[in-house]
Amino acid sequence: MNLFHPGARVIDAVTGETLTEDMIAAAEAQLAGEPGGVVFLPMQTTLPVVARYLAALRLGRPVLLLDPEHDNASFVERFTTTEVHPDLAVLLTTSGSTGNPKLVRLTADAVRTNAEQIAEVLGITGDEVAVTTLPLFYSFGMSVLNSHLIKGATIVLERTGIMQRDFWTAVNEHGVTSLAFVPSQYEMLRRLRFDPAKYPTVRSLTQAGGRLRTDLVTDFSERMATVGGKLYVMYGQTEAGPRMATLPPARLAEKLGSVGQALPGGEFTIEDDEVVYRGPNVMMGYAETAADLALGDVQGGVLRTGDLGRVDDEGFLFITGRIKRMAKVFGVRINLDDVEKNFPVAAVAGDDKLVVFAVGASDDEVRDLRTKIAEWLGTHFSGVIVRSVEALPLMPNGKTDYRALESSL
Amino acid sequence: MSNLQRLREAFRTSLDLPADAPVDELQYQDNEKWDSLAHMSLVAALEDEFSVMIDTDDVINMSSFTEAVSILGKYGVDFNE
Repeated sequence: MNLFHPGARVIDAVTGETLTEDMIAAAEAQLAGEPGGVVFLPMQTTLPVVARYLAALRLGRPVLLLDPEHDNASFVERFTTTEVHPDLAVLLTTSGSTGNPKLVRLTADAVRTNAEQIAEVLGITGDEVAVTTLPLFYSFGMSVLNSHLIKGATIVLERTGIMQRDFWTAVNEHGVTSLAFVPSQYEMLRRLRFDPAKYPTVRSLTQAGGRLRTDLVTDFSERMATVGGKLYVMYGQTEAGPRMATLPPARLAEKLGSVGQALPGGEFTIEDDEVVYRGPNVMMGYAETAADLALGDVQGGVLRTGDLGRVDDEGFLFITGRIKRMAKVFGVRINLDDVEKNFPVAAVAGDDKLVVFAVGASDDEVRDLRTKIAEWLGTHFSGVIVRSVEALPLMPNGKTDYRALESSL
Repeated sequence: MSNLQRLREAFRTSLDLPADAPVDELQYQDNEKWDSLAHMSLVAALEDEFSVMIDTDDVINMSSFTEAVSILGKYGVDFNE
């Protein structure tokens, strides 16, 4: 599979160097001289890494995208094999799972189709310029890269982030047209009083990686509207390579709270309250061991998302919660997502208690929250524990690290 | 406690560093604990500690301890007391 459209450009914001066909060819030659099987690739945001990624895809070698900040020895130990299924192209780690994370197995078709679907709904053309705002091993970061490269657009590799001057300098210097963020970054942008007028080339913001509070959806949609720009709310999972839905900006106000309609070629149904997606971008299945890498497709294009939701008569999906995110308080099941929707906290399940973490809450606010949440649940306050924290722990993909919160109990 | 000591304390607390960690040479890029989240927390801590409201431009310019000293100086925090 070749994702590198002839017009595509990848620029390192610091060195100004751009990716060339020669660099990809050199990476191909190097890979061809290495043992077969899985290519373990720590995804630093650099040209040589992007070249190696594209080279692996061209050679049909399955490439496992890894967090460069982590020790990845256990992945090498668990998944070193030359027995890989011929359709296998990209392996992604699943976040948030315990102990030995599973891998998501994606075919070249799924990866390419998803990149095309995304480019179509976001209107990505060769004129677009995106900047890296997310790690490339994370499915959202990968999809920004893929959907731009395949359309001959430009990707600016920037290793700083939105809290740093260099990032915003690069945005203006390279004429960046779109920025992709997860909800925690929108919270930061709000604190930074993000003003799109200061970045005149930026015409669209995209959002995925978890539910963005509707007041922030409205806020950022309005900020972008003042400069004739757009906010795209999106929905996906690594298991779908990753995008499944986009909310057209023109319908955003009217469908507030929706994550949009299925991508072209995809479809949502609700089965026993669970959101089920069918489409050409669904994974082949998971891999827990090296032997699983030889397996073919076990999903048949069907993904049970584990999300609870409903679809309206125009096909707009509304996510209402997560099947597994439940706590019991005095034996009564509580949806942790509902708690988070109604109170400014991160909620986890304690031992027959609801435990919530409130950022920067004073003693009085802690007491007040405890009373209000207990009242809202219709339960005694002794079933609710409120803890004040300076900040919520985050995973590399910017989502709340619930495991870290649970382990702090 | 002098303002300089208060600033050092705020850095150690926000970046989750030991009580005796040297911080005067810290740079955003070089310290793995100084990420975007820690930066938010640091700015909030400085605003509380010195009763100031730090502008957006100053928030993203605050890329080192030295930079923080000069930015807070603009807001009237005196480090030569």
